[in-house]
Amino acid sequence: MLKLEHISKTYGNKNEKAVDDVSFEVYPGEIFGFVGPNGAGKTTTIKMIVSLLAPNSGKITINGIDNQNDILAAKKQFSYVPDSPELFEKIKGIEYLKFMADVYQVPAVERQERIEKYLDIFEIKDAVNDPIGSFSHGMKQKLALVGALIHDPQVFILDEPMVGLDPKASFELKKIMRDHCDRGRSVFFSTHVLDVAEKICDRIAIIKKGKIIEVGTMAEIREKAGSQESLENIFLELTE
Amino acid sequence: MKEVVNLTKLFINESLGLSLFFYNQKFNRKEFYKQLFTLIIVPVALIPAFFMYVSLMSATYFGLTMINQTSVFLSIGYIMATVLIIVFGVMYILSEFYFSDNIEELIPLPISQRKLIVAKFLSILVFEYIFAAFIFGPILIIYGVGQGMGLLYVLLSFLVFLTIPVLPLSLMTALIMLMMQSASLKGRKDMLQIVFVFIGLVVIFGVQIWFTSQLGNGDEVDFQLLMNTMLTNNEGFLNIIGYIMPTSFLMAWTLNKITLMSFAWVGALLGITLLSGALMVAIGERVYLKSIVSGKTIKKGKQLSGAQRNKALGKKSHGAMAVFTMDLRLLLRTPVYFFNNISVVIIAPLCILLSVSFIEIPPEDLQGMQDFFRAMPLLINYLLIAFFIFFGGTSATTATTFSREGKASWLTRMIPVTARDQIVGRTGVAMLIQSLGIVFTIISIQFIFPLTLSTLLVTVILGILGSLPILLFGLFMDMNRPLLNWDNPQKAIKNNMNVVITLFVGMAYTGLLIGVCGLLGYFINPLLGYGMFMMISVAISVVFYKVINNRLEAEFLNFES
Ligand SMILES: Nc1ncnc2c1ncn2[C@@H]1O[C@H](COP(=O)(O)OP(=O)(O)OP(=O)(O)O)[C@@H](O)[C@H]1O
Ligand SMILES: [Mg+2]
Repeated sequence: MLKLEHISKTYGNKNEKAVDDVSFEVYPGEIFGFVGPNGAGKTTTIKMIVSLLAPNSGKITINGIDNQNDILAAKKQFSYVPDSPELFEKIKGIEYLKFMADVYQVPAVERQERIEKYLDIFEIKDAVNDPIGSFSHGMKQKLALVGALIHDPQVFILDEPMVGLDPKASFELKKIMRDHCDRGRSVFFSTHVLDVAEKICDRIAIIKKGKIIEVGTMAEIREKAGSQESLENIFLELTE
Repeated sequence: MKEVVNLTKLFINESLGLSLFFYNQKFNRKEFYKQLFTLIIVPVALIPAFFMYVSLMSATYFGLTMINQTSVFLSIGYIMATVLIIVFGVMYILSEFYFSDNIEELIPLPISQRKLIVAKFLSILVFEYIFAAFIFGPILIIYGVGQGMGLLYVLLSFLVFLTIPVLPLSLMTALIMLMMQSASLKGRKDMLQIVFVFIGLVVIFGVQIWFTSQLGNGDEVDFQLLMNTMLTNNEGFLNIIGYIMPTSFLMAWTLNKITLMSFAWVGALLGITLLSGALMVAIGERVYLKSIVSGKTIKKGKQLSGAQRNKALGKKSHGAMAVFTMDLRLLLRTPVYFFNNISVVIIAPLCILLSVSFIEIPPEDLQGMQDFFRAMPLLINYLLIAFFIFFGGTSATTATTFSREGKASWLTRMIPVTARDQIVGRTGVAMLIQSLGIVFTIISIQFIFPLTLSTLLVTVILGILGSLPILLFGLFMDMNRPLLNWDNPQKAIKNNMNVVITLFVGMAYTGLLIGVCGLLGYFINPLLGYGMFMMISVAISVVFYKVINNRLEAEFLNFES
């Protein structure tokens, strides 16, 4: 569903690579977690997947489409919610949602159904006619999530989705992610919350200083580390 | 004191983006050279304008020597500098004091309100001193050299120069603070800013009209009469200027003739300036932070029922339409954008209308003008075309289209919208604004003399077509080097070199095109001129469209690196 092959990225003319020869694959029906310390290169990797940055080398395919050959077709395959979504402050929530539905060409009935559903789940129905500038941080994030779910993407890509959400919302989000994968689609997200990664991810990749140091299911990673410890301990050892 | 200096440095650094500049010098050479290039090219581009300004001022001085009126020279310069400082200062004051995000980080820190106000004020003042040096500096020098003044003049004029930006800026800041205070009580900061700036402009404009009508002693502005007033009434002109800006008397008394009294006058000027600064700080301490804190309220919308939500979501509409609507909404709802991009199409035709209603044209002159127009339709047509292109080119709507989105531009780059839809949507907004300007202009011109149908057709079509290459050039510039990293929307436009470059290139191009086609039309055949105009415009537009269409998606990948 999502495949990265030997992706590298250097910012400007810095010496060290922010992302260094990263390869992994996310399969259909899978929740894939991307963990690593601050500055490891998670956000940079995600930005290259969602066509916000060009890699220096390597290839990314999304649902079989090379995102450097056919950017537009690749863009239709995913939706993306950044770590702290900066949205147009002067635009009303509902206007933003209409915009998203229009650019993904979602038919009238489906956009209405989905938006009603997710507005209910995230409890922002009452605020939807207000300018986004008046939203709290968490509300902005919820709105961005609703906008990202409008076109029911093949791959749902999230950067640090749990940060800033209240317990109820992050519970609902986890349910939505699971639901999404049960319908044969995929979820790819980065996180610092190792408990979450451990509980809901089918597979995990650990990145450190731009390099992938582990990929696999929880069991595989445990086996390699030779311990029955929690992900947290393994993570601390690996990234030491 | 040290704290104030540090804060001032911080604000200046922030408004110039110096930290990023030096970061790029180390880690992002490509960006660094781009920035360096614009840092050099803009002053270089301004040299001819400055040269022209100095020549104009020298000519004015010699003109005044002829009629023995050199004493008004400094006063004219003083007024001009003051008015310009006010006009440009308004936006700087608003943006530094009210639209900059840094205040939210500074409020919780243990820094006294007074220090914040002083530091913000100083950071604006630094730029205004540079500005004043270019505007008022030459005037002081021309007068000093012309009158053969000595060392004392140098000293005194330096002291006067020091007071120049402080007085208008501090009064303006105090006024704005008071207005923002009452605005924040009503929670409509955004709209008020627009209203405020418009009122300011109308007042300045009104003063100018009143000023000219005073000189003319009546309805009719007659140059002969004006000269007479100036020649017979020695102090008359000086007095009129003095009424507008009383401190100009002090300035004139100090510098026109150096006597012992000059020191007293300059002392008074310095005193008044200090007082105005103190007044500003005193007012600021009462209202500034209070209105910042309460002014953050954003007006909320009504709650929607399910049916209303569905109606708002509507049916599937085209990608270009979605981009167009979003771009237009941002433009209309962000005061700074509205002011910079849209107000010109309202103000310029309004100026035509006002000047027509204030200057009475005798019927026989009007008849003469209309006859002339009938005899020379070509001239009028090209003049109008140039004016219409002016709305397209100067508004810089496309030259800032991506920059205006700032940190939210990730959305634009992430969504699957074709390059064609982006171009059509964004250029469409610019053309809509331009069309508004055209309509307003045509309406106001109808008051002077009715335009023929052929003129209407030719000018509207060629005006819109002729500005298309400039609009697309602006889009091309902004695609290549958008300014996204701002904390205050003012910067997306005011610190954006794309605006300046598009303006210069657009004006040069328009001048050339109209010149060539106009000559063709005059010497060979008008239709040939218009045809040529159309062909060139279409050809260049097609080329730019193709280039942008091919490059846009790839350039989106470079916005952040
Ligand atoms: N725009 C940029 N310009 C230069 N360097 C950058 C830029 N963005 C990120 N970097 C550098 O790239 C590296 C990886 O950053 P990235 O944001 O991908 O980390 P991350 O894993 O998302 O970290 P976090 O957990 O803190 O979000 C860091 O060393 C960072 O300094
Ligand atoms: Mg990150």
